[in-house]
Amino acid sequence: MSDIRLEGVTRRYGTFAAADQVDLSVTQGEFVTILGPSGSGKTTLLSLIAGLNRPTSGRIFIGGRDVTNATAQERNIGLVFQSYALFPHMTVLQNVLFPLGVRRIGGAEADRLARDALKLVRLDGLENRRPSQLSGGQQQRVALARAVVFKPDILLLDEPLGALDRKLREELQVELKQLQRTLGVTTLLVTHDQEEALSLSDRIMVLDKGRTQQVAAPTEAYLKPANRFVAEFLGIANFVSLPDGRQGVVRPERVRLSAGEQGKSARVVEAIYLGQMVRYHLALDGNQTVVAAVPFLGTAHAPGERVSVSWESADVWPVT
Amino acid sequence: MKRRTFVGGAAALPAMSLLSGTARAQSKEIRMIESGGASGESIQKGYIDPLFQKTGIKVVRESPSSLGKLRALVESGQTSTTLFELGSGVVLQAKKLGLIEKVDWAAVSPAAMFPEAKDEYGFGYQYFSTIMAWRKGVKEPKNFTEFFDTKAFPGKRCLPDYPHYCLPFALQAAGVPIDKLFPLDVDTAFKKLNEIKKDVAVWWKAGAQPPQLMKDNEVQYSICWSGRVVGDPAFGLSFAGGKADLSFICVVKGSKPDDKAAAWKLMHEMSLPENQAKAAEVISYTGPSPDLDALLPKDKLWQFPTSKQNKDVQYFENAQWWADNGEAVNKKWEAFKLSL
Amino acid sequence: MTRSSGFSFIAPLLVLMVVAFNAPIVYMLGLAFWEKGRGFTLEHYEGLAEAPVYLRVLGNTMRIALIATLANIVIGYPLAHWMRGLGSRGRMIAIALVVLPFWVSILVRTYAWIVVLGNGGIVNRALQWSGLTDAPVSFLYNELGVTIGMANVLLPFLVLPLFAAMIRIDDRLLQAAASLGAPPRTIFWKVYFPLTLPALAAGALLVFILCLGFYVTPAILGGGRVPMISNLLDTLINQIPRWEQASAISTILLIVTLLIFAAYRRLDRKASA
Repeated sequence: MSDIRLEGVTRRYGTFAAADQVDLSVTQGEFVTILGPSGSGKTTLLSLIAGLNRPTSGRIFIGGRDVTNATAQERNIGLVFQSYALFPHMTVLQNVLFPLGVRRIGGAEADRLARDALKLVRLDGLENRRPSQLSGGQQQRVALARAVVFKPDILLLDEPLGALDRKLREELQVELKQLQRTLGVTTLLVTHDQEEALSLSDRIMVLDKGRTQQVAAPTEAYLKPANRFVAEFLGIANFVSLPDGRQGVVRPERVRLSAGEQGKSARVVEAIYLGQMVRYHLALDGNQTVVAAVPFLGTAHAPGERVSVSWESADVWPVT
Repeated sequence: MKRRTFVGGAAALPAMSLLSGTARAQSKEIRMIESGGASGESIQKGYIDPLFQKTGIKVVRESPSSLGKLRALVESGQTSTTLFELGSGVVLQAKKLGLIEKVDWAAVSPAAMFPEAKDEYGFGYQYFSTIMAWRKGVKEPKNFTEFFDTKAFPGKRCLPDYPHYCLPFALQAAGVPIDKLFPLDVDTAFKKLNEIKKDVAVWWKAGAQPPQLMKDNEVQYSICWSGRVVGDPAFGLSFAGGKADLSFICVVKGSKPDDKAAAWKLMHEMSLPENQAKAAEVISYTGPSPDLDALLPKDKLWQFPTSKQNKDVQYFENAQWWADNGEAVNKKWEAFKLSL
Repeated sequence: MTRSSGFSFIAPLLVLMVVAFNAPIVYMLGLAFWEKGRGFTLEHYEGLAEAPVYLRVLGNTMRIALIATLANIVIGYPLAHWMRGLGSRGRMIAIALVVLPFWVSILVRTYAWIVVLGNGGIVNRALQWSGLTDAPVSFLYNELGVTIGMANVLLPFLVLPLFAAMIRIDDRLLQAAASLGAPPRTIFWKVYFPLTLPALAAGALLVFILCLGFYVTPAILGGGRVPMISNLLDTLINQIPRWEQASAISTILLIVTLLIFAAYRRLDRKASA
């Protein structure tokens, strides 16, 4: 178990910078998510840390050791791909034994470690199957077991749940979080799915065009976005003008609706039921629209209805 | 539909036999399968063209000819091909297998011929010799004893990859005179071959190989077909102890009478020395007429298998012996080849 | 219903296949068992047993085919692997170069080797000019010549399926292996090579079976010193002619080929099970 530190990590392809002066510090046992749209450079960053790619400049430290020029097999990293990357010619057990064999761990000990890892991901009993005989979720679990069986210093997950359907994804998110906590392994996850990032991580790093936009705890990044990009990328953002002329962002959960005259008058354009919540799209006077999310308590406003909209000035976060 | 075809066919039948009746002995076109190359052209120029000028009968040539092909032709029952070129040994095989017809020598009424060319089952139309040849500049052997003496005559050899082309020469090297070669002492011949096999660089399958290999200086001495080396200043050669052999034109078993009649006419043309002289302009292999020498250019007589000076120093292929012993010898030959 | 109507579509083709391809083979194989007017006989196989030389030629053919196949693997595997690493443009050029021999007559290619490897050929002249050798090296008219010639002719049959299998290997599998701590050698032998093995086996089998039937190349580049079964069959069919004996040998050849194929299928099924 180790910490990770990136110092000014840059990776250029010609004039294009896939990673541009990225700094990041992940403490031991922490779960950090690198979040960004496709093409933001998050996978590049992961491959630089994994050693599958070399930075143009900058330094990478794992456990205090400078690994910038170390090869992938020298880094002791557990890596899980979105495509699973299981060895198709090996059984489940052989797949999990592979990193142990490479480390000259064999015999009963290797067998015990591999079976423990498979038990951890609840795949005991499927040891002798081939990857092609497993479901997508099971394959991803094998990949996880294979990535943690040799007690790696850090665990890197590249969109590990991206290929799964929603229900399975949510299930596995919980398992993944539990697994990470059990093992206490420093974990970096790459995803474009902001819900996944918010629900799994201790901290998130928002990336755009190769540059760091914000590194913060999920709630902080959500409520106090560093800039307009983060505000828009994480959830829904209502932009409002502040008295000093700057722009501020209010999250829909912080918008209050009432039937009275306390706030601004608005017309309900759309009401969307989300189970416990209702999301309203509201048109304010003066062509401005606001999204509000309020608990569903049995009744809801209908489209066309007029309501009064308000928010606390403390709930408005200024952005540039 | 079926019925109409049947009726039509039945009606056509007498008409056709009537036609063939009037056309008897007057087939205007027959087919021949010969060995191809310059030999085929010599047949065209020497015999087929004169036949057409005299009778209007066309002979269409195809190549190459092999006994396997003939056997397939006959066993499939087809009659489109009338004439087939076969080597002397193969004539006996074909006769034994019933693949060829007897020649109607009365109908052919040939001009004078060497007796061995006038076979019951075939017309020996072309003599060819297998002789020793060498690259100019090396020590020149006078006989096969010298040819096989790789110490006195150093250099790589190129020999035929066929037992019936190799063994009699090896036997001569072992001291057997050419009139005592048959019955062949196979074991002595193989013993002699074993003595020089390490000096044999190439065992040739195609007649074009030995002259090319001598030109490339891969080998210095060859046993090869005379027609491939005569007239080329790069090579020296000798007919001494050489093998004279005959190619035969035969008639495919089951050929139609009209086609056979046309075939006899072609054979007649083949017996005429003036036609054979024309064929010899194309290829330096000669026809079976004893009167041919007088019609050939004097300065080229040394090149031909049948000219008096050459015919006397060669032995003639004993096809019968090979027909009787070929398969057994071939097994020994394969074993010998495996020992290389 | 669908199956039977599908069958009626392919039935004419099936009939053509049976009549044009299978029937002659069965007839050819049957020749060894039937003697005209005498019916069933095994004498031609007994004849084979009495002439072990024919079986030895068959054995020699297998040996040469095996050597040529191994040579093909030694050249073809690195070549295909190298091609995998090229860009799409480089791959296209490389494939064109590999396939090019298909468009040149086998005779031309075989004689081209004489120009290249003969005593006075390009290679020997270069060797002597550079002072590496004093006398010409005998590349031709021996087993080496046959092996070189056959490897040249058959290389595409190995390289193309192998290349196809190699480009199907996901780079991420290799990256995963590296990230799991495997050094390049281990990645090659434990991941890359096993994944190319089925294609390698299929290609090698194809090459081996084609080698068994080689005729022109051994005759010319072997200088007649390398007896192969097809040359023997030519003698038995066209010169002697003993079709029955040839048929008996062909039958054995066919059985051996089928046995090799069956062994391969078994291995393949085991590997993928």
